[in-house]
Amino acid sequence: MMQSYLQLHHYLIVAALLFAVGAFGVLARRNAVAVLMGVELMLNAANINFVAFWRYIDPARLEGQVFVLIIITVAAAEAAVGLALVLNIYRTFGTVEVDRVNTLKG
Amino acid sequence: MQGGRAVTPTVELVLFLLAAATVLVAGVAVVAARNLVRAAFWLLPCFLGVAGLFVLLGAYFLAAIQVLIYAGAIMLLLLFVLMLTRDAGGALAAPHNRQAVWALAAAALVAGVTLSIVVAFPWPLQLAAARADTAAIGEALLRTYLLPFEVASVLLLAAIIGAIVIARSEPSEPTS
Repeated sequence: MMQSYLQLHHYLIVAALLFAVGAFGVLARRNAVAVLMGVELMLNAANINFVAFWRYIDPARLEGQVFVLIIITVAAAEAAVGLALVLNIYRTFGTVEVDRVNTLKG
Repeated sequence: MQGGRAVTPTVELVLFLLAAATVLVAGVAVVAARNLVRAAFWLLPCFLGVAGLFVLLGAYFLAAIQVLIYAGAIMLLLLFVLMLTRDAGGALAAPHNRQAVWALAAAALVAGVTLSIVVAFPWPLQLAAARADTAAIGEALLRTYLLPFEVASVLLLAAIIGAIVIARSEPSEPTS
């Protein structure tokens, strides 16, 4: 079998860059839904890491894949609850811009 | 994955670069797009690229789940909420807030630190034959990891009920 060019760190580099992109979205976006999109990007980056570690470090055990399945479940729950909250914020404040939802600000 | 690779290393590398470029370009477009509906649609190539990376890693079941849950359900949910909230049409003056420069600096810092660690760290690599057909995953989920599996299903149920209760439009007590 020929040797593959791909190594673990190739996947980790992609995941790190995707995580940074998602973090920028979370920090810089005004719209709450766009902030949630950034969170989804970060979760995807974590999932890439889990699967890459499973493949290259301990392929005999399935923890990596099971972790990803649980993360995807939690991400679905997070998206559902988060978007319900966004809908409720929109009804209450008339906006979904995170900067303008500042009732608690002194 | 038992029987050896069907693709040559060169093809694998090309596919990896394609998927990685798709993921990163689409990811940047998601956080940078002025129109939020476009940003939500950019999520689609991003999630599909991640599914491609899963396939390259040999996690076929996860790739299918990724397409179903992320590219299907979560993106659709985001689109629906964008349509239900009025800011959707891209009428916003600026898509980013005032701290965008600092956010960029923080993201660059995160990327720099993580990349330097990832490249420098001596990972204990081990390339045994990967066994990850769907049957093995199902067995692991229903034997070794039965408790987390059931807890996840309870969490999902609680989240669904919570989302319905929170999003229900009833003219109850006035807030604010």
